[in-house]
Amino acid sequence: MKQIAESIRDRFMKLGIDVPVEDVESRLDELITKFKVPSNEAQRSVTNYFLKKYSIPKNEFYVRQAEPQLTKIMDITENGQWANLKAKVIQLWENTHESISQVGLLGDETGIIKFTIWKNAELPPLEQGESYLLRSVVVGEYNERFQVQVNKNSSIEKLSEPVEVGGGDFVPSAREAELRNIVDLVGGQWATVRGKVVQLWENSHESIEQAGLIGDETGVIKFTNWASSELPDMEEGKSYMLKNVVVNEWNGKFQIQLNRSSSIETLDEDIEVGTSAFTYFGAMIDIQTGSGLIKRCPECKRALVKGACAEHGKVKGEYDLRIKAVLDSGTSTQDALINRGLTEELSGVSLDSAIAMAADALDPGVVLDKLKHELVGRYYTISGHRLDRYILVDSIIPRTFLDRELLDEVLAELEVE
Amino acid sequence: MTGFFREVSRRVFSQELRDSNLTSRDESDQYAPQYLLTPTGAKVNRIFIVGTLIEKEDIGTDSEYWRGRVSDPTGSFLVYAGQYQPEAAQFLEECELPAFVAVVGKTSTYTTDDGNVLTSIRPESIQQVDELTRNLWVLDTAKQTLERIRAVEAQEDPNSKLAKEHYSTDTEIYREMVKKALESLKDNA
Repeated sequence: MKQIAESIRDRFMKLGIDVPVEDVESRLDELITKFKVPSNEAQRSVTNYFLKKYSIPKNEFYVRQAEPQLTKIMDITENGQWANLKAKVIQLWENTHESISQVGLLGDETGIIKFTIWKNAELPPLEQGESYLLRSVVVGEYNERFQVQVNKNSSIEKLSEPVEVGGGDFVPSAREAELRNIVDLVGGQWATVRGKVVQLWENSHESIEQAGLIGDETGVIKFTNWASSELPDMEEGKSYMLKNVVVNEWNGKFQIQLNRSSSIETLDEDIEVGTSAFTYFGAMIDIQTGSGLIKRCPECKRALVKGACAEHGKVKGEYDLRIKAVLDSGTSTQDALINRGLTEELSGVSLDSAIAMAADALDPGVVLDKLKHELVGRYYTISGHRLDRYILVDSIIPRTFLDRELLDEVLAELEVE
Repeated sequence: MTGFFREVSRRVFSQELRDSNLTSRDESDQYAPQYLLTPTGAKVNRIFIVGTLIEKEDIGTDSEYWRGRVSDPTGSFLVYAGQYQPEAAQFLEECELPAFVAVVGKTSTYTTDDGNVLTSIRPESIQQVDELTRNLWVLDTAKQTLERIRAVEAQEDPNSKLAKEHYSTDTEIYREMVKKALESLKDNA
């Protein structure tokens, strides 16, 4: 206890104030012995008492005494620890939450660490590549990794002299995600993908620069390029290398997102999009609602529900014909999306005659009934690209013959066994 | 969407379905699907059949309740459609006999007073199809049944083990059934 008392006195001494050590000690003793206060709490309480007594602003006192103790990133080892860092902003990331002002990576000569600046810290934004002195940041632990949090008790000072970044050869360009096949992408990872832009969608939101589908030999996936990523636009039908994109899952579907740390390179080659297309044989056992004669939003081509688009509200829709089918092999099921051209070919119902049928019956449901009548219960071979749980059907062929060879084969097996 | 999956529609001949009487259901969950385990170890909730509709009758007292009999090369299935299967009921009401039909539906069972289990199908859809589709189904079902018979003989998965244990399945009978079905395709070739 005497030690604590002396350390308190020493700290006040630095400010030029001589506090009687007996007074400090008796106050500590009362708190610790009589009122069972933990010693560190008691220390703080007594310190605060004297700060108040001599009218010293708390911030000034704590900052001053913390000032000389700079922590190196490598030495951050304790959750809940306060630290002062001299570090360089290596990377700024996409901001993921409204309560966060900035998030990214800081580095010094000993290592790299993630940082988060909370909005309520009300600090001016950091610039990538600049070095700063960050005072009174808190060390947190998340997913077994340390990070520093900058809150409203923290302060930031820009340094004119840049901080050297060591900690391995960690520079953004060296941190390139692994090149992966589209079919192998799973949520929650970074990846690099090469593929051809199969489809660009009508832009539905101002925060989105571009969205659409990109495909390689193995599959097709949705991509979103956020406006904030400040990346160039891509063209439909051209092939690109997309570096450092984030794969995530939304509504059970995988998609990739381009952000500020991603890059786009145009490729000269023309990537063949999954003509190793997926093929499935089975009976069509259902045609689901949302099939037949539908209306689409003229803006974003989405199917309307009760005459309204999820994005654009009430719109004057455009007619289309499509089938959402379920095929079933007896051991698995497969959802398939069949576009207007193939639907017309398969059912013999053209879009115009479908519109006429619906008008005549005052019910678009008659088109769906007609399609079910023509198609359900029959065997088909479909092929096309996979998108989530669907196959986007390129070709659908009704089975028009009985496989005699297979028949003889199965019979022969029965004889032999 | 996770957690949802669509029940596969199994391929089972009528003779085998008629021999089935072992139902299972997760008792702790009232919405859990009911399964019917067949003698060759098919775990059936949904079923797909193609055959010939040979009889139909409205057996309802107050409202319409249609019973149809659909034959395949090994016997026949019973299909019941009432007010909760309006499309199927309407089909049964309107169609002319006989007709090739494709039925997708859920199996259901009924235990009689003397302990017999009757199996039937509650259709989700009935559509008229052609003879080729019926033949394709027979071959499809023969192939899948033979695969299950082999699994029962090899005792390689839980369903075939359970089927053998419950039914003491004599696979020879079902081999004969498959053979009979396939030979019917040969005849009208």
